[in-house]
This record gives sequence, C-alpha cells and structure tokens, in this order.
Amino acid sequence: MEIDTTRFGKIRIKESELIGMRGRILGFENHKRFVLLTAEENTPLWWLQSVDDPAIAFVVINPRIVKPDYAPAISEGDLELLDIQRTEEIALLSIVTVRSAPVRATANLRAPILINTAKRWAKQVILDDSDYPIQHDILGNKADFKIGLSAKEPLGGNRPDRVHPSSPAAG
Amino acid sequence: MLILTRKLGESIAIGDDIKITFLEMTGKQLRIGIEAPRNVSVHRAEIYQAIQEQNVQASASDIRIADIWEKLTQR
Repeated sequence: MEIDTTRFGKIRIKESELIGMRGRILGFENHKRFVLLTAEENTPLWWLQSVDDPAIAFVVINPRIVKPDYAPAISEGDLELLDIQRTEEIALLSIVTVRSAPVRATANLRAPILINTAKRWAKQVILDDSDYPIQHDILGNKADFKIGLSAKEPLGGNRPDRVHPSSPAAG
Repeated sequence: MLILTRKLGESIAIGDDIKITFLEMTGKQLRIGIEAPRNVSVHRAEIYQAIQEQNVQASASDIRIADIWEKLTQR
C-alpha cells in the first residue's frame, strides 16, 4: 500500500509493517494505524508516522538509550489489552519532543508507547511510577547515553522498519 | 454530571467493581481511597492533560533526525 506523508512524501509500505493502535495516543484518538520510519541508519531515533494523517508523526526512541535503568512496571490491564503473553513480545518507545530555539529535546518516560511486537499492536500507557517524568531532558543527561544500543531497531528481529532514502532527513 | 453528597467514611460504587471512599478532609484537601480491579487504570486527571499537551507538542517536532542526533552525541 502507498501512504502519504508530509515529511517524507509518498511511501510504499507492506500492510504487515503497520502498527495498530489498540489504545490511544492521548490527543490523537483518531489515529489507529502507524508505521515506523527512519532515514538514518545509525541513529536510534525513528519516526512513528500516522498512516491516517500525513502530517502526524512523532520522533521516538528506545527509552533505555536515554535512561539505561528504565524498567517500568506495566499494568496487567495494558498487557491484557495488547494480548502480551511473554516479555520478549514487549517493546517500548518514548515520544521525543524537540524544540529548536533554544535546542531542547525531552523524552516522555511517563507515557511510553507499549508495543506487542508479535501482533504489532500498540497503545500509549500511563505508568503508575511518577518518578519517570513526562519531560526527561535528554541533552542534559547525555552522560547516561548508551550509544551502543543505537544500532538496535525498535522492534528487533527481522527488520520490520524501513530506511527511506528520499526523506528530508537523508539530506 | 451526577452530583452526590457524601459524608467522610462513606463511599460510592461505580459499577460492580469500583468503590471510592472519602477518607479525610484537611482544609481544601480531600483524601480518597479507590478500590478497583487491577486492570482499571487510576490516575490523577491532570496527568492525562499533561501527556496530551506533550503529545501535541511532540507532533509538531519538525526537525531532521540527523540534527537531533548530532546534538545528542556532541560531547
């Protein structure tokens, strides 16, 4: 199938690459299908692009890269909703907010996107643990970085995510 | 909105599984206890608003990934 994106133009994706929202991304309840895109092979940052609206995409990152000891407890209700049976099926992505002037990047560690990697179902969960902030200052905590994780793809395994050469980020 | 008056120590039930008890009043602060099944998420309402606002801001990020990454990896 072909999808329109504001940032990357038209992209061909396989239906098997879609990620279905079983819960909602707060404020984006109408967006039920997403796909993970990147133009940069060597960064751990990805775009979570809405398939339902070309303009909507979120920068996401594996939260362990910015917070190596990140190990939130996921509620039973959330695991049930996504039919997650085994921990190997879990992937977490943090939404990154970037501001340009002054440059500031924060990761939302309180409300990560939880993904069942087997079924490719997802939802934004709200953690009970209030020690994880909504705005984790990435640049201010650079020393924590586990760059070595950067080559890992968010969903692991058989490369379900794509590098799209014609995106603006490819420069 | 349904509006009820309750005394301290009294409860309201929502459905079969959820019970909210009004425990203590200190000045303008009200302590309440919530009993709900484990698969029901209970949060202060402000957190939903804060996360929604953060999502909206994040969706407006219009920057090259390479530029962010360069900033992140500068030592």
